[in-house]
Amino acid sequence: MSHEEHGHEYVPEIATTRDGKQFEVQGWQGDIYGGKLGFWLFMLTEIMMFGAMFLVLTYYYSLHPQDFIDASSHLNRLLGGTNTVVLLVSALTMGLGLLKMRAGDVKGAKLMIYATIILAFIFLGIKAVEWREEYVHGVFLGLDALQSGNEHSRPFGQIIFYGMYFTMTGLHGFHIIIGIGLMVWLLKRINSGKVTTEHHILHFNIALYWDLVHLIWVFVFPYYYMIGAGHGH
Amino acid sequence: MSKSYLDAGETHCAIGHPKSVFWQWMLTVDHKRIGLMYAAVILTFFFVAVFVALTMRIELFAPGAQILDGDTYNQAFTLHGVIMVFLFIIPGVPAVFGNIVMPLMIGAKDVSFPRLNWFTFWLYIFGALIALSSLWTGNGFADTGWTFYAPYSLNTNTNVVTTLVAAFVLGMASILTGLNFLVTIHRLRAPGMDFFKMPLFVWGIYATAWIQLLATPVVGITLILALMEKIFGIGIFDPSKGGDPVLFEHLFWIYSHPAVYLMILPAFGIMSEIIPVFSRREIFGYRTIALSSASIAGIGYLVWGHHLFTSGMSDLAKTVFSFLTFFVAIPTGIKFYDWVATMYKGKIILTTPMIWALGTMVTFVIGGLTGVTIAMIGADIHLQDTYYSVAHFHYAMLGGVVFLLFAGLHYWFPLMFGRIYNETHAKRAFYVNFIGFNMLWFPMFIAGWQGMPRRYFDYLPEFQIYHQISFFGALIFISGLIYMFTVLISAIKNGEKVGPNHWNATTLEWHLPTSPPPLENHSKVPYVDFRPYEYHHGEPVVKFNLDTMQRID
Amino acid sequence: MDINTYKAQRANYYKVLGGLLLLTAITFIQPHMFLEHYTFAAQLSIGAIKAWLIVMYYMHMKGETLIGWTVVFAMSLVTFFFIVVMLDVEHFQYEDGSHITSQPHIEVDYGHHTASHEE
Repeated sequence: MSHEEHGHEYVPEIATTRDGKQFEVQGWQGDIYGGKLGFWLFMLTEIMMFGAMFLVLTYYYSLHPQDFIDASSHLNRLLGGTNTVVLLVSALTMGLGLLKMRAGDVKGAKLMIYATIILAFIFLGIKAVEWREEYVHGVFLGLDALQSGNEHSRPFGQIIFYGMYFTMTGLHGFHIIIGIGLMVWLLKRINSGKVTTEHHILHFNIALYWDLVHLIWVFVFPYYYMIGAGHGH
Repeated sequence: MSKSYLDAGETHCAIGHPKSVFWQWMLTVDHKRIGLMYAAVILTFFFVAVFVALTMRIELFAPGAQILDGDTYNQAFTLHGVIMVFLFIIPGVPAVFGNIVMPLMIGAKDVSFPRLNWFTFWLYIFGALIALSSLWTGNGFADTGWTFYAPYSLNTNTNVVTTLVAAFVLGMASILTGLNFLVTIHRLRAPGMDFFKMPLFVWGIYATAWIQLLATPVVGITLILALMEKIFGIGIFDPSKGGDPVLFEHLFWIYSHPAVYLMILPAFGIMSEIIPVFSRREIFGYRTIALSSASIAGIGYLVWGHHLFTSGMSDLAKTVFSFLTFFVAIPTGIKFYDWVATMYKGKIILTTPMIWALGTMVTFVIGGLTGVTIAMIGADIHLQDTYYSVAHFHYAMLGGVVFLLFAGLHYWFPLMFGRIYNETHAKRAFYVNFIGFNMLWFPMFIAGWQGMPRRYFDYLPEFQIYHQISFFGALIFISGLIYMFTVLISAIKNGEKVGPNHWNATTLEWHLPTSPPPLENHSKVPYVDFRPYEYHHGEPVVKFNLDTMQRID
Repeated sequence: MDINTYKAQRANYYKVLGGLLLLTAITFIQPHMFLEHYTFAAQLSIGAIKAWLIVMYYMHMKGETLIGWTVVFAMSLVTFFFIVVMLDVEHFQYEDGSHITSQPHIEVDYGHHTASHEE
């Protein structure tokens, strides 16, 4: 990945045909497209994983549609919607940061990364407020309302809805935390000169990662928060 | 003279530049060393699981309890399955030969992400340790079978949680291997080597890598949901709460069926390498074999429901799956016809790799055809969860994948170590294995047909004869395995030294300057303007000057 | 990159942002304004359009061929899994004896058209 780390430049090999024509050999070092391809392949695994979770959700939605709509109407659409906008803007800041890095404005790029980190923390903060609101109402993993067969039990469809809600937003939040860690690491690499305008595949990939995190939320939000939005609660 | 990759000295490491040989191996990013380490660990786990199976065979020698009680028996077949599937056969050929041989075959210096490769190996070790730790903690190893069906897996108090976590970690290692190989094959092929000039083993690894990448996450999330349910009691899969256990089966088999194609495709790749070399002929139907690997990978994602025929699935779904399952057998059949056509009018040389490959043709055909039998819904209602299934998948996995892995061990042994084993003993070991294998597994087809259920610790006296024959088959088979590995392991130190192209083969891994290969692989990357299996009158067409890697034919 | 490319790409980013914000607004008014009885389909369709914009422009997929096809392949697989599993559960033949899949067929109530207050 970084040929400069060992102090010797990586010089690509040349392969020669029988007629003397020369071709540059693609080595594993300094392979920008390879880095991009590898990261996209990793993101495909995330699509498969969240895709399977949406399958489970759809399965139970088809069996208990009214329960799902009732449960959805109880989620806090204001906070959820705010988070949607927060994440949207953070995707913009991350993208602008990459653009600035490519244009040579390293300082501006770093500022954008800081902005993204702050927005990410705001997202997590709002999510924590939402979760706490649910917890205070007795709706949380492990509490009676989400277990079957006791006096506080919610209808089964609602148990599945909330159980999957906490699982999926929890996993999504986990990915946000990892994203923050990656951005902090990126800042370090920029500061130490390892990520530059000429050589910024890491920045590119982390921006892609952040877009994926946003992409997942684009589906999580309507599926959980909006299907019950018309309900008169 | 460049040093071989086995010599102590400078090797590329993930962290720093250690001086001690031990740390040079522990931290190495070299694909050949990593592949060897995988081989040592994977084959050790193989033997552990074989001995667990022997214990089961001893127990099943007669009806009633012999040496185990029912609960322990359940733990035994779970342990056997978890080790064999997750620790041995899924990493299996890709981790060993994909690592050692594939980069050499495409003229690369290493994989695309060598440090990720190093990390993946240790992730695999970590997952394996988590799985094995559950033998000694809590209520002992899981007793659910390696398939972890709900609701039993949710309600049993054995170490299901630990095993689920281990399987998740191992799954991550599999995904990362697949990712690494996909980028390697797309990016690091030698100039001139387009996809249809790659050796067929590389095609096999390529198709496998797609399955590793896309199917494994589904089982990953299934295991996470099962964990969430075990810990928080949500009821996603537990019918007593309103959940649907068939949903678990769907999600589980959406991965686990493609997983078996993940196992067999690299193995078929090995077959495609061995047959032309020892028939001294170009492979017949290169393009169809290559495309059949891709289609098996693609169609293999679509057939998982044939594991659920007796679960209460709708008739519509059953019909779709049965049809697709029949359909996916076709590309495999094409491969077999192509291999036989390659041998026709070839100059067959019966070396040890070749007889393993030929033996596999017999055993895998039995495994494959019996699979087609149970693809028939009506037949499957009778045969599902009987010894017929068990015999089918052991003929396919053991008689297919593992036999070809053994063939690969014998074929690439001179490449890996620069030495050759004793052919006479190696061939004898094959025959012992082949006889033992068939004696062990064939009676089970009959027992299953008569109704002997699988995973049963006790049985009616009318089945005893089959178990007894199987038991003696097991003894012979295990002796064969021990014999074979003794031959191989002793040859590592004491085998006769051989040159870089012992079999006079055509693919690039045999055109290295030293035997064993140098650390940096080929002296120079060649320009590839030739097909991978060009023979003329039994001799390879393409010849190289091994220092300049220019063609001299 | 030169200043003009930079400005052009930056303008593009802001355009996509505008589109995404607009779609988010539509998400909020849809349950009260149009296709109220098809909220589920409408919401996920809006989500799909947003996703397409993000993938094409923010994730630069517009210029990538190989990567584009791999994404299509993965999405096709997920779609196949969805279709088959949902077909299976919708056509369960032992529905009468099952407490998991047997549901009274009710008209699903998406709620009133008046603005709603969260609890």
